[in-house]
Formats: sequence, structure tokens, C-alpha cells
Amino acid sequence: MQEQHIASAFDRDLETIQARIMKMGGLVEAAIMDSARSLETRDEELAEQVRANDKAIDALEEMINEEAARVIAMRAPTASDLRLILSVTKISGNLERIGDHAKNLAKRNSVLSQMPPVGDSPSALRRMAREVERMLKDALDAYIQRDVELAAVVIQRDHDVDQMYNTLFRELLTFMMEDARNITPCMHLHFIAKNIERMGDHVTSIAEQVIYLVSGERPEDNRPKADVTSVSL
Amino acid sequence: MKDMSQIANAVETGTNKISARDVNVFYGDSQAIKGVDVEISNNTVTAFIGPSGCGKSTFLRCLNRMNDTIDICRVTGTIRLDGEDIYDKRVDPVQLRAKVGMVFQKPNPFPKSIYDNVAYGPRIHGLARSKSDLDEVVERALRRGAIWNEVKDRLYAPGTGLSGGQQQRLCIARAVATEPEVLLMDEPCSALDPIATAQVEELIDELRENFAVVIVTHSMQQAARVSQNTAFFHLGELVEYGETGQIFTNPQDPRTESYITGRIG
Repeated sequence: MQEQHIASAFDRDLETIQARIMKMGGLVEAAIMDSARSLETRDEELAEQVRANDKAIDALEEMINEEAARVIAMRAPTASDLRLILSVTKISGNLERIGDHAKNLAKRNSVLSQMPPVGDSPSALRRMAREVERMLKDALDAYIQRDVELAAVVIQRDHDVDQMYNTLFRELLTFMMEDARNITPCMHLHFIAKNIERMGDHVTSIAEQVIYLVSGERPEDNRPKADVTSVSL
Repeated sequence: MKDMSQIANAVETGTNKISARDVNVFYGDSQAIKGVDVEISNNTVTAFIGPSGCGKSTFLRCLNRMNDTIDICRVTGTIRLDGEDIYDKRVDPVQLRAKVGMVFQKPNPFPKSIYDNVAYGPRIHGLARSKSDLDEVVERALRRGAIWNEVKDRLYAPGTGLSGGQQQRLCIARAVATEPEVLLMDEPCSALDPIATAQVEELIDELRENFAVVIVTHSMQQAARVSQNTAFFHLGELVEYGETGQIFTNPQDPRTESYITGRIG
């Protein structure tokens, strides 16, 4: 990484904050995978665990924000240090939101597991969740390595997640039209799909922070919007 | 993001006041300044930052030929004030320094009354025709120095009896009394407490309306607070010169980055 500060305590502060981001990232990756797995295997216990773990994620976010405020007040960071502090507060916010989506997904599980299964959408959802989890892992790797190219690839990959969501959206619509009794489970499944799609957006935002952190420039918002369900009939 | 930088750039900065081209300064055999090109805008505060010995004060002193007073000092290149070469033989350095005033690190009032401290410059430059004229000049200068209200009842008390912060503002008042066009400040707050510093900084911002201000400072936070443009000097070179916001959020040169973030570089 970069050279050391003359004030070594400043380096320690920044390292502590980054270590917390990585810890938070690890918990959020696990939350995504566990919530998707609990959906597929109808494992209520695992779902309950995801909901419980979300508290730890929230606590980390708060800790990161407090430490960031402290560094701003006491060290007056500039240039790349300033961008680092700004980016960690944003990234922790994104991670916290992803955690919330995973928790929401886990909550719907307990309702869904009381109903007969519809199609094989849970495994499609799990594939989608795995893709988001991989994107998150790469985004966090890009963050640690300060790898702008990897971050740009992650942003492009959100396109695939959006496509998966579109496909699921149409599929669920078909199930609901076929049989009105499918409507309740399909609505839940649709919300889950939407949750995962939103997670992808937050991962994209993390990757954008990496680009800002390294280059000082915000990436141009020209990526194709692949979620077309809001504008199509 | 784009909008923000446009707003930042739209801060009223004036036309070009001083332009320096390929300025080199030598003290005997050693070169203190290496080929510096810089444009100083009117109605703008320009900050010079850099580690000790980087040449920022030396360069500042070139702008009103203060280096002429040092025998072994030699300056090459051109420095133009409003298009006129200030190192031209026909330029009288004393007249030049009336146009390009200077404030130093330590407040250095003359051992005279507050009134005489300020009246000194206008008297020797013949800027006042009568006593009442001079009174007006002194009052205007003290008001511009943001110290009028504190001294108006004791104008004939010695200037040295004021507090450090007041003395520095008195020196600023003295510098502006000759109606200069440019004000050079060499670490004007380094001997002041935070309150006096804040008052002087506020004053600098007000002075910008009438002058081009160039300030050398060791406090990067001060440069960030008061200036619109910042120049970073290192080992006699001008490494980077740009809009202050850009220098402090996204410097382009790794040496600038190392310096302002407090890294060894």
C-alpha cells in the first residue's frame, strides 16, 4: 500500500477502520449465502441465525461511522486519506443495506416454508444470490488491492444480476396467472428476487467507491440499466 | 460532483496580477528556486505551501524584490506585475514595495504610536496633503486591518503595547495604508493564538476584495481555509499549482499527496 504517515497513530486509526470494513464484508457475504441457502433447503433455523447476525453487522456500521467521524475531527484528513474516510462511510452504509436485504429474505423464508413450493425459483434465487456474493467478494478485494479494473468489472457484472431478475419476474408472473393460489408465495418470491437485485446495486455502489478512492473521480453513470420490469408491461 | 467543482471554480477570482516566468534564485552557488512559472490572480488569496527550506519564502520575497537586500542573492527570469517587469532597471524598489506590501511572521510594529505606525508609509510616499487627510488614511487603514474599534481611543499609545494578535493586525493595517495592489504575507499567523489567527484569516478574506494576497504558511489547514489557489513547493521547484479544493482532495502529483497527507516523502 501507500507510504506510512509521520504520525503512526494515524496509520493505526485507518487500519482499524479498514479491518472493520473487511470484517463487516465477511459477515455480509455469509448473510447473503446463508439466507439463500435457507430458502432453498427450507432451513428455518439458518434463517433465524441470519436475522440474529444482522445485529452484529449494524453494530459494525455504527462503529465505523463513529471512528470515521473521530478521524475527521482529530486528523483533518486530506487527499487520499480524505477519500478513504468518505468511502468507508459509504461502503459501510452499502454493506448494512445488503445485510438488511438478506435479513428481509430470511424473514420471508419462515412464511414461505409454510406453503407448498412453486417451481424451482428458490434455486434460481440462490444462483442469483451466489452471483451477488461473488461480486461483493470481488468488490471488497478490489477495495483492499485498490484495483480499479476489477471494480469496473464488478460494475459491469451487475447487468447479469439484473437479467436474472427480469427472467424470474416473468417466470413468477406466469405462475401467478396459471393459478391464483400461487399468488401469495410468488409475491414473497418476487420480493426476495427484488431484494437480491437491490443487493447487486449496493455492490455496484461499493465498486464505484473503489474507483473514487483510487482516482478521485466518480465513474460516469453510463452502465446499461438491465432491470426493465419497471418500464415494461 | 461536476456541479460542485464548477461552483468551487466560480469563486470570484480576478484577472492575472503577477506572472512569473522561469524564475531562478541563487544564494551564492546554491540554487534555491528552480525555474518557477506561476500566475497570481487579482482578488485572490494564493497560498504557498511546502516543507521548510523548499523556497516558498524566497520566492515570495522575489515578488517585491526583498531579496535585493541580500548581497549574495541573484534572481533570473522575469516577474511581471500588471505586465511590467519588476526587475527592470527603471523600477525603484521602494516604489515597488509600496505597491507590493508585506507582512512578516512576527508582528514588528515600529516603536512609535499606533497612529504613527500606520501614518509612516503614507507620509514618506506623500499620500496625504494635510493632517485631516492623513487622519482619514490612518482610519481607513486601521478599519481595513479590522483593528479600528480596538484602538480608536488610544491612537497615540505605543503600538508595541498591543497584544500579539492586535500587533499583527496593526502591521497589516500599516501594510495596506500605502494602498498597495498586492499583499505578501510570510507566515502571518505563526506567532498568534487560535483566536487571533481566526481574526487575521477573516481579515485576509476581506482584503481579497481589494488586493491580490499571497500567503506563505506552514499550516496546511490555514492554506485550505483562506486560499483559493494553492502552490506546493518542494526542493526549490513548483511541484503543483491549482485550485485549493482540488489540491486538498485530489492532488495530481505524488509529492503533493505525500506532503499534505503527512507522509514521509
